[in-house]
Amino acid sequence: MNKTQKQRVKMLQNMIGFFRASLNPWVIRVKFKENPERVAFILHRVSGAIIAFYLLAHIIVTSYTDDPLAWERILNTLSSPWNKVGEWILATAIIYHGLNGIRLLLVEFFGVGIGRPELPKPPYIPPSFKGGQRKALYAVFILSIIGSILSAVLIFTGKLPI
Amino acid sequence: MLEAEELEAAKRTPPKEVILKVKRYNPETGKQYIKEYKILTYRGMTILDALNYIKENIDPTLTTRYSCRMGVCGSCGMIINGKPRLACQTQVAAVATEENPVITVEPLYNIPVIRDLVTDFTPFFEKHKMIMPYIMRKNPKEVDEAEYEFLMSPEEHLEIYEYSLCIMCGLCYSACPVTASDPEYLGPQALAQAYRYIADVRDEEPEKRIVVVDTEHGCHRCHFAGTCSAVCPKMVDPAAAIQRLRKITLFYRLGLWRKKKTSRVAGPLEKPLRKIEAQYPTHNLVEGADPEKQAKEPVSIDFTDEMLSE
Repeated sequence: MNKTQKQRVKMLQNMIGFFRASLNPWVIRVKFKENPERVAFILHRVSGAIIAFYLLAHIIVTSYTDDPLAWERILNTLSSPWNKVGEWILATAIIYHGLNGIRLLLVEFFGVGIGRPELPKPPYIPPSFKGGQRKALYAVFILSIIGSILSAVLIFTGKLPI
Repeated sequence: MLEAEELEAAKRTPPKEVILKVKRYNPETGKQYIKEYKILTYRGMTILDALNYIKENIDPTLTTRYSCRMGVCGSCGMIINGKPRLACQTQVAAVATEENPVITVEPLYNIPVIRDLVTDFTPFFEKHKMIMPYIMRKNPKEVDEAEYEFLMSPEEHLEIYEYSLCIMCGLCYSACPVTASDPEYLGPQALAQAYRYIADVRDEEPEKRIVVVDTEHGCHRCHFAGTCSAVCPKMVDPAAAIQRLRKITLFYRLGLWRKKKTSRVAGPLEKPLRKIEAQYPTHNLVEGADPEKQAKEPVSIDFTDEMLSE
């Protein structure tokens, strides 16, 4: 976009601000059954933020000291029950983000599972919602719930029941 | 996309009285406020009818924009009960029930508001212009001084037919979570139209559009939330178009994509058209009637004095 185009696409005074505009994903009310991709998008963003925050905190904690005794003390403070809940949330976020990421890579870079253009006929369901990506999305949801439960068992009891 | 449930609900009789909560904006005072209107309904009433009723009978200052009243012009897009819809296509019965007769009406999101429910589409149309929504040929005379049409098979037409239904109502644009956070993002409508012209066999210069689209504010900004396709009243499916566009741009940058086929100009006919002599029907005539003779006679209708006085 060059400068003149930018001037032409200028916003008026009464355009809502960036903060309120950022709330838009949560404001629009479409049913889950109708558009689960939107829920997937919100979860993907939230889980991505959690992972990014963890990565930052992880780098700070691990580079805090190189003294073994001090490191032991840090590990002791990190093994409190609240940190275990945090670990579980992190594990869930990583599982969901990874699985949904595979689906998004396939859809966005290779156009897999979005159907072919067709003549609109009732009931009017867009081809991209009838294709394989919708099934893949439900699979992602189910697999990440299973993964979340398994990781909860592993984190809170220390071993898997299998 | 109209839900099957909503279509079912639209057949019902709406609640006798509904409350419309309209989000209003006055540019003179710069105030935004919500005003409630109680109106009586009738069977088959749309939200646009309700707003016009308010304007005519209760509050003449309420401003809306509409033109065709039948979902073709795309002027009356607004957020009804939290979802972008066309006011003329939404029945009151589909959004209000006896238990909850409250309908909220807001101007479209992501688009600056001029007054009340009227939004300024200038940025939206500028973005549409940026992707050059017209057929470009290597030889511009083929379009400017066109003598013959371009050839296109029905299958090739079906490839782009879905996307050519767009009426530019801005519902996808206001539903898109990416447009909300990036005002320079081209938007689902413009990107779907870009794909429509890139995939069109009559168009010869897809590279020009790929350059416009392949930026950080272009198709790569999309995160496939899919709401554009879910709210589209004309079943355009912009979400799929943007994903195909990304695939094309990726392969184009790798040097693996080029347009498979461009159509040629039809040219003059090889054989002259067959001439068919028109004949009057003979099998179901009134007895004694001669159609050829009747056709030559001038038609005269006798008006009575009563008819003329009316």
